[in-house]
This record gives sequence, C-alpha cells and structure tokens, in this order.
Amino acid sequence: MKETNLQSVAGPARILPDLLITLMLWLYFTAGFLLFFAVFYLAALLFSKQRETAFQKLNQLFFKGLFRLMRMLMPWRTLLVQTKVKTVRSAVIVCNHLSYLDPLLLMALFPRHKTIVKSSLFSIPIFGQMLVCSGYMPSDAGGKHTDILVRQMDSMNAFLAAGGNLFIFPEGTRSRSGRLGNFNKGAFKIAKKQRAPIAVFYIDNTDTLFQPGRFLFNTCGRTTITVELLDLILPDSEHTSASVSQMMDTARNLIETRRQSRATEQALGGLAREGYQSL
Amino acid sequence: MVREEIQARILEIFRNSFEIEDPGLDDDLRDIHGFDSIDGIELLREIEIMLDTELTREEKENAMEVRTINQILDYIQLLASQRGRN
Repeated sequence: MKETNLQSVAGPARILPDLLITLMLWLYFTAGFLLFFAVFYLAALLFSKQRETAFQKLNQLFFKGLFRLMRMLMPWRTLLVQTKVKTVRSAVIVCNHLSYLDPLLLMALFPRHKTIVKSSLFSIPIFGQMLVCSGYMPSDAGGKHTDILVRQMDSMNAFLAAGGNLFIFPEGTRSRSGRLGNFNKGAFKIAKKQRAPIAVFYIDNTDTLFQPGRFLFNTCGRTTITVELLDLILPDSEHTSASVSQMMDTARNLIETRRQSRATEQALGGLAREGYQSL
Repeated sequence: MVREEIQARILEIFRNSFEIEDPGLDDDLRDIHGFDSIDGIELLREIEIMLDTELTREEKENAMEVRTINQILDYIQLLASQRGRN
C-alpha cells in the first residue's frame, strides 16, 4: 500500500509541489526559527532557572509549529495521535524508526522530553550547544561526551519523577525497508535502572512523507501518519524481575505484531479513527 | 586492595548490574557482550563506591576507553595507587 502511494504520482509532475513545500518547510526551519523562536531560546539560555525544561518546551512548540504548517500545506495528509499517547508521563518510550520526522514528532508531543542523539551532532557549533541545553544525551560516551552523559544519567531519576519522558529508538537508525531492525539494549537498561515503565510506541507512515535517502518531502498520496501506544511494560517489583533482554524482546514483539497488523489494516482500507486525535 | 579481590567484585557487578555472566578477562566487552556507554557510566559509579572516592572528569573520560575486564582491573589499580590505597 505504501509503495503504491509513493509511486502513484511518480515523475516530473511530482517534483514541483514537492520542491515548493520542502522549501516552505525549510523556510520555517531557518527564518521561522530566527524570527519567532531565537529570542525565546536566548532568553531561556540567559535567564531561565530551569534551562533544560525551558528548552524542551520551546522545542515542543517549534516542532508543533512545523507539523501544523505541514497540515496546512498538505491537508490531504492526515496525522493522528492515539488519545492515550499524550497521557504518557515518567516513562522510557521506545519506538520504531522510519524517518527523520519521528523524533520531531515525539518532541512535538511532549513538553518535557529527552532523547539520545547521535554523538557527532554535539560537535556542530550552536546546534550542539542547543542539544546540551535541551538535556539530550549523546549516543556514545568518550571525550567530552562522557561528562554530558554522566550528568544526564545522574539527573535522569529526578527528570522522570517530575513527569518527563525519555524517548529512544532502539533500532538506532531509520529502517530503510519498513522492517524492524535489531534492537539496542540501552533504553531497556535505563528503564530497569530507573524502575521506569517502558511505553512501547508505534509510528506509521512518516516515511511516506519524508523518505530516507530523499531530500524532498513527498507531498503526494493520502496516507495517514499515526502514533500509537501499544502497551506499558511496568518496572519490575521485588517479586518479579524481568531481564533487560526479556523486556527488549517483549517490546520488539509488540512493535513487530503491530507492524504486521497495520499492513493488513491498510490493505483492507485504513484505520478506524476512534480513539485518535490530531497533534 | 589486591587484584583478585577487585576482579571478584567487578565480575559480581557485571553479573548483577549488567546481566553479563563470567566474561573472559580479555573479551572485548562492547563487541562480545554488548557493554555500552550506559553500562560504562554505571560502572564508573560502582568504581567510585569501591574506591570510596569521586573520579575526576579526566579520569572518567579515560575510563570510557577501556574495553576488557583486564583493562578495567588495571585502571582501578592505577586509580587506587594514585590515591594511596595499594
């Protein structure tokens, strides 16, 4: 179904709307940031006593704006979030990974959030500083990243207790085939250490809008992007203690099962919208 | 603290905290046992408890470079000797 949508309007006729809408979205990213957000980030940097929280909130607003703009520019594209998704707090969220849009979508959903970001991005001037100020963690320790990671891990308990969510894509990278890749254990280790519930999310169809390996947004097709909460894996008690591997297998099975059932749903005509809302 | 003592404690930590049973002393922990940065940070805390001291930023950065149990033992002995706890 996905491939049909992607290929249905292939060819030169598809390039122009794709190019125009991509330019407008990049304009939001650059000029929009400078005009509407930079001053607030600067104020948070200089004056906020809770800088991380302020940066996370600003990130949420910025990316919410991005998805609202997408909805305006492409009203035929639908984005639905399962209502219960937004109620998740104090959890380690694990999710499948299809597109660069996935982390932006999760940032747009939660005012207090942290995530793990590729270590090399921390070296980019200004952007790297923004990642640190937002409380995001480098994917690898080593060199100056060790100190950032140590500080973030030290404060993780308080962050989760205050209602924050840590979201991680355990595949580590985007799926190019739509299939689920191998999982890394990091997210599950943190959840076990912090005794935090693991919220298993499933994101669908972001790759039909912004495909891996393509610079332009794909503006054609009528697919519905969804974010769903599949289950909560609760932290172990004194009496039951699941291993990290067991928790990881449980989460992976949940996502894989949903991936297969979603493919069947789409083949049968789409998603029942009850229990979902817009971003 | 003698090396055998440290080794016993480290292996216990690996078993209880990282779910890694009896790793070879020269196994590459990352490649063979999936020991990652999150585990590394946790191990630093355990070393601080073991030595009853706080590690400096530089010591922590250096510690993240070790790859095997033997290297961990060497590093802990070095830290202990620097603190006069031979």
